[in-house]
Amino acid sequence: MNGLRRHLAATVRLHARNTMALAYGYLFPLIFLAAFWVLYRYESVPLLRHMGELLTVSVLGGACFGLPTTLVSERERGVWRRYRLTPVPTWTVVVSTAVARYVIVLSAGLLQLAVALAVGMTAPAHPLGLWAAFTLVAFAFIGLGLVIAALADTVPAVQALGQCIFLPMLIIGGVAVRLESLPEWAQHLSAFFPGRYAVEALQSCVNGGGLGAVRFPLLALAVIGGAGILAGGKLFRWDGQQRFLASGGKAWLIAVLAAWAAIGFSAETRGRVITKPASPPPADAAVTPPPPVVASTPPPPVVAKPPEPPWMTITDKDVAALDFRMPPDHGVVSPIAPIDEEPDEFVRDQVEGVRTKLLAWPPASEPDEVQCVRNLLYVCAVPDAIQMPVERYLPRVVLQHLTDSYPKEKLIKLLTWIVLHPEEGRVIDDISDLGIPGGAGDPMLVRERVYIYATKFIERLSGRKPE
Amino acid sequence: MPAQVIVRDLRKAYGATRAVDGINLEVARGTIFGLLGPNGAGKTTTVECIIGLREPDEGYIEVCGIDVRREPREMKQRIGVALQATALQEAITPREAIELLGAFYRQREDTADLLRRFDLRAKADARFATLSGGEKQRLALALAFVNRPELVVLDEPTAGLDTQARRELRAEIRKMQSEGCTVLLTTHDLAEAEELCDQVAIIDHGRILARGEPGSLLGEMSRTQVVILATDRVIDVAGWPARCGITDIAIEGTRAMFHTTDATTALGELAVVLRGQGIRLISLTVDQPSLEDAFLQLTRRTDRAGAGEGRR
Repeated sequence: MNGLRRHLAATVRLHARNTMALAYGYLFPLIFLAAFWVLYRYESVPLLRHMGELLTVSVLGGACFGLPTTLVSERERGVWRRYRLTPVPTWTVVVSTAVARYVIVLSAGLLQLAVALAVGMTAPAHPLGLWAAFTLVAFAFIGLGLVIAALADTVPAVQALGQCIFLPMLIIGGVAVRLESLPEWAQHLSAFFPGRYAVEALQSCVNGGGLGAVRFPLLALAVIGGAGILAGGKLFRWDGQQRFLASGGKAWLIAVLAAWAAIGFSAETRGRVITKPASPPPADAAVTPPPPVVASTPPPPVVAKPPEPPWMTITDKDVAALDFRMPPDHGVVSPIAPIDEEPDEFVRDQVEGVRTKLLAWPPASEPDEVQCVRNLLYVCAVPDAIQMPVERYLPRVVLQHLTDSYPKEKLIKLLTWIVLHPEEGRVIDDISDLGIPGGAGDPMLVRERVYIYATKFIERLSGRKPE
Repeated sequence: MPAQVIVRDLRKAYGATRAVDGINLEVARGTIFGLLGPNGAGKTTTVECIIGLREPDEGYIEVCGIDVRREPREMKQRIGVALQATALQEAITPREAIELLGAFYRQREDTADLLRRFDLRAKADARFATLSGGEKQRLALALAFVNRPELVVLDEPTAGLDTQARRELRAEIRKMQSEGCTVLLTTHDLAEAEELCDQVAIIDHGRILARGEPGSLLGEMSRTQVVILATDRVIDVAGWPARCGITDIAIEGTRAMFHTTDATTALGELAVVLRGQGIRLISLTVDQPSLEDAFLQLTRRTDRAGAGEGRR
């Protein structure tokens, strides 16, 4: 144990003396954080919805690049060969190296979290759960890093292998690109990578249901990490002259691949691969039609004047105080097509379909007027969240429907209420009944887009933004 | 005296090349044993098998009474090793390296004492990457002694050291021996082997060619001299004196080389022969034989005897 402790402490200390390793280990995650902050600058709570992705990227970088690069470069230089002259067991070196790397990535994650909190992110909903999830994520990726170190004979080989795992995981593995935005084949593929489980587990502890809501991802990370650590230890090589192809124990690679495959197939059989949004409540349950008026029935006695809806308290001052610094209409986030821009034929059919169906769309007849307006805003927000081609054209359809349904002053008040209370009300994140397939799968994202579109509509209705 | 190292019929091949081809040796407790041989002779592979860095194809190795192949970690508790080139993390300091590697053993020397013994106090907190070649070598030796070993294996221990450092290291090795430690070292320095070792073995082509006390084994070789001369015409070999211990004559055009145990007499007689043939001497060199020359002599000797050690 003394050897393990000493080696653990020495590894962390030597890491702290390596300028390049420090820059890569701490600066790289912060650059990612800054990029996400800028990219999603219009979200009401900065970075809250992206901490899962950001922390996963940090661990991935430290474990899949930093760890094997250090291990292989030291092996190439003969450091491990010197260690082998001592009675130190392989497991002491492997475990202390893995724990040291955990300490390193944990410190990078804490730094990332601190910076996120400093720029306005709210505190994670389940801090202890987040630590536990982070530990499991690190466990999984450190196992992967050990396997890469065993496979690669040289440092350039580490870079090549690392990229082969890192980039697919970022792009189609659900780490940097949201699963809902990926085609189905990519979502199926991502089920076999640990990246998506890492993001799910971490994000659930930041602003979701905590560890209890992500049992399968946690299991996946534990299985993948266990197989990786075991294989990484068994395949550990002391001597730089010993090549992977010439060394024994290659069957342990099968254990690693089997773990990944088992998790992927298990996810498939459980039907948890394709990310679909929660279905909106049934139309008949969501809508409470007004009671029929029967002529022969005497009018009910007036007991008391019904309370004034809260949105009526909105004043011009409230409207003027709104922050109208919204993303540009021609941008990626919440776009609105110019009034004279014509969509192509396919999109035009979709737009016209929505326009027609809106007239009979139950959520558009909701008795609660605030919820009704909010429901209509979801018709803009959901395609925007999924980034569908039709997203640019639907806001005008919705705005037209709203102005046809409500007087302008009332509508401004309703919209202002929604802007000032972005977390209220029910979320609809699937409008396939309007002929727009797919779902956003992320209620927070949809709420954000509702907030933006409501503000943009107020700008137009109040004459702040001329057409 | 019980043997501290026992090697029986050790064999190791790399593909078709037999690096070690049936080596047998014993190193008695408390002695200094030198393994001599040219590059590629098989001495490094032999040592690496003994210290557990390499898995032999065949053979039995026992170190400090422990079967190396069965209990390699227990064996490593009892030995210290300094390889020719020791690599450590670039940012580690000598003090940290001694404390770190020392933590892997059941018993260990005091760090400050090792730093003092190997003259590393001034560099105790300098990074490994900034140490000179000699300082790195001294650190490697300090690490070899970190666990108070019963057997120390030193691969070319004085290579790269200056004269003063060599002298100090030799004194350190003798001190260890006086404290009951056994030393197995490899070297290509005949003088060093002769000065330090109680026993030496000469190895080439993976086999031991000769073994014994250096005085008897190397003394004869070190008395031999090599004579190289150049003339203006080709020398007639038939006229060479077959006296004065002249052996191994090699003629190449107007250049000639031979070995002799009495250069003064041989050159006097050779001058008479050359004058008689009307040949003019252009240049003349008299030198000690290189280790390679000694090995060539030994090889021929064992070939003639037909029963060299380790031969099959």
